[in-house]
This record gives sequence, C-alpha cells and structure tokens, in this order.
Amino acid sequence: MSIRSQLLKGILDGCVLAVIEKEAVYGYELSKKLQKVGLEDVSEGTIYPVLLRLQKNKLIIGEMRPSESGPNRKYYSLTSVGKDALETISTEWNQLSVPINALLSKGDETFESE
Amino acid sequence: MKASELIEQNNQKRMLLTEQNEKYYTNLLLYIRTKLTLSEQQSEEVLMEMLGHLIEGQHDGKTAQEIFGNDPKGYADEIISHLPRENKRKNFIFVSEIVINLVGWFLIMRSIIIPIIGSKASEEVYIISSLLLILLIMVLTAFGVKMIFGLISQTSFDENATDKKAMIKAGLYGAGGFSIIAIFSFFVQEIGPTFTLPWQVSLGIGSLLLLISWLIKKYRT
Repeated sequence: MSIRSQLLKGILDGCVLAVIEKEAVYGYELSKKLQKVGLEDVSEGTIYPVLLRLQKNKLIIGEMRPSESGPNRKYYSLTSVGKDALETISTEWNQLSVPINALLSKGDETFESE
Repeated sequence: MKASELIEQNNQKRMLLTEQNEKYYTNLLLYIRTKLTLSEQQSEEVLMEMLGHLIEGQHDGKTAQEIFGNDPKGYADEIISHLPRENKRKNFIFVSEIVINLVGWFLIMRSIIIPIIGSKASEEVYIISSLLLILLIMVLTAFGVKMIFGLISQTSFDENATDKKAMIKAGLYGAGGFSIIAIFSFFVQEIGPTFTLPWQVSLGIGSLLLLISWLIKKYRT
C-alpha cells in the first residue's frame, strides 16, 4: 500500500462524512465528488465498505429512492451522531495538521534559521 | 423497499451490463448472497448500490475492474466484514418455515407410499423412530444447503473451477445423504410407543403444513 493511501485510509471516513453533510448523496455521486476535490486515487469501490461501516456505527443513514433511469439509489444523510463525529474529526484534523505542516513542509526553513 | 423487490430489480438491471462487467458483478453477487448469516436486506441494498455504480460507470467507459479493483474476492470479503448479521427473529422464522415444509412433505410422501404398499401395519407410527428420522433429514438438509452454498461461493472467483466438478460434489452428497436416510430407516424401524395414523390423515396434515409454510414465506418476503 502506498504511503498516500495509508494516510488517506485514516481520514477517508471524515472526507465521506464531510461530503454527505453538505447534501444527501448516493454512492456514485459521492465518489464523483471525492474525485472532484482532488482525491482522485480513492478507487471508487472503496467507498462502499466505508459507507457500510459508517451505517453500522449509526453515523449515517441510507434511504432507497427510485430513480427514473437506472436502479434505485440509496441516498445517505448524517445522523446527529454523525454530525458530532464529523466535528470531532475536523477539530482533531486541524490540531494535527498545523504542527505536521510545520514539521513536514517548513522543516527545512526551521533548520536553516538556526 | 423489501429485499425481494430489490432482488427482482437486480435481475432486470443486471441485463444492462456488458458481458465482462456482468461476469465480474455476478461473481461478487453470488459470493455475498451465499453468506447466509448476513442481513438479507442490507446485502441486497449494497448489491443494488454497486450495480447502480457499475451501470453509471459503464456509461463513462469504465470497467468493473477499474471501479472495484483487481481483487474481487478481497473486495467482497471487505464488504462482507462490514455487513450486519441477520437478526435472530428473522432467522428463526426462516428455519421454522423450512422445518414445517420438510415435515409437510414427509407426511405427504407417507400418504402416497402407504396405499402403494397397501398393508395396514405401515400405518403404525413409531414415535421415537419417526422423530429421529425427521431429525436426521433436517440435519442432512442443513448440511446440504451449507455445502452447496459453500461450493458456490468457493467457485465464484476461481477461474479453473468448472460447474461440472461442483455438480459432481453436490450429486455425491445428495446420493450419500439419501443412502444414509435409507439405511437408517431400514435399521431403526420400531422404537418407542406407536399410534395409528391413516394415510388420509397424513395427507391432510401434510397439506396443511405445506400451506402454513407457504403462508410464512408470503409473510416473510
């Protein structure tokens, strides 16, 4: 597994929750949106195990709705537990990303200034 | 939307897939459906989502491999690990339906055989022997179902596996099971107290049980 996908694995739940928070989406739509924001190497199939796990933990709920063209689509929306979880993940991410950014991206500058 | 409706829709929508994608998807589907302990509703929902995704992806020129990866078995196992189990109540109803159905056929068979043999003695029912025989048939049926589903899921992703091999295995099991029942009923004939159950009554009760199991099935799906 590449480093990129390992890193992504830990935060993918948060990304999926963030997309669903904006509006109810179904699987294909969700994968399109993730790709659109730049997470192109999330292979499309990986969202289904994630969606199942989030449902099992009651962070999201799915509802089958008919569609005119294809098969029925299952639209997901956040539960209140899911909203809390997303908030926690966002806070944690912000707390982590600032020092990590400082370490990894600006590391050279720190050493140079000493 | 109920599981049975999803299955029906799945059958229709699957025809929209290209040959390659259909093969890939059907293997996934068989592998997931043959895991009997999983919630049927949840399994069918995720299968429908994946089918919808594949159909839309196909429009954009993508293949099943590109969407679900090159390791369909690994992917299916991951899906399965996140699916909830079927709840106990539903399992109980399902098993009851099968048991009632089996006993119903057992009584009907009996009502056909007795007039053929034509002896009054064969209307005697040995309670213990009969119960043992019914129990044996149930156990063998349960094992048979488990084995055949196991065979289907094993051969789902195995390119070399032929249907012929699986057929032979299933056939051998059927023949073996039948022999065991025949041998058992030959040797264990007369145990326990008896009562007389005329074939007409047997036919009546048997039909009633089949009707009940059919009603349970109706209610269940």
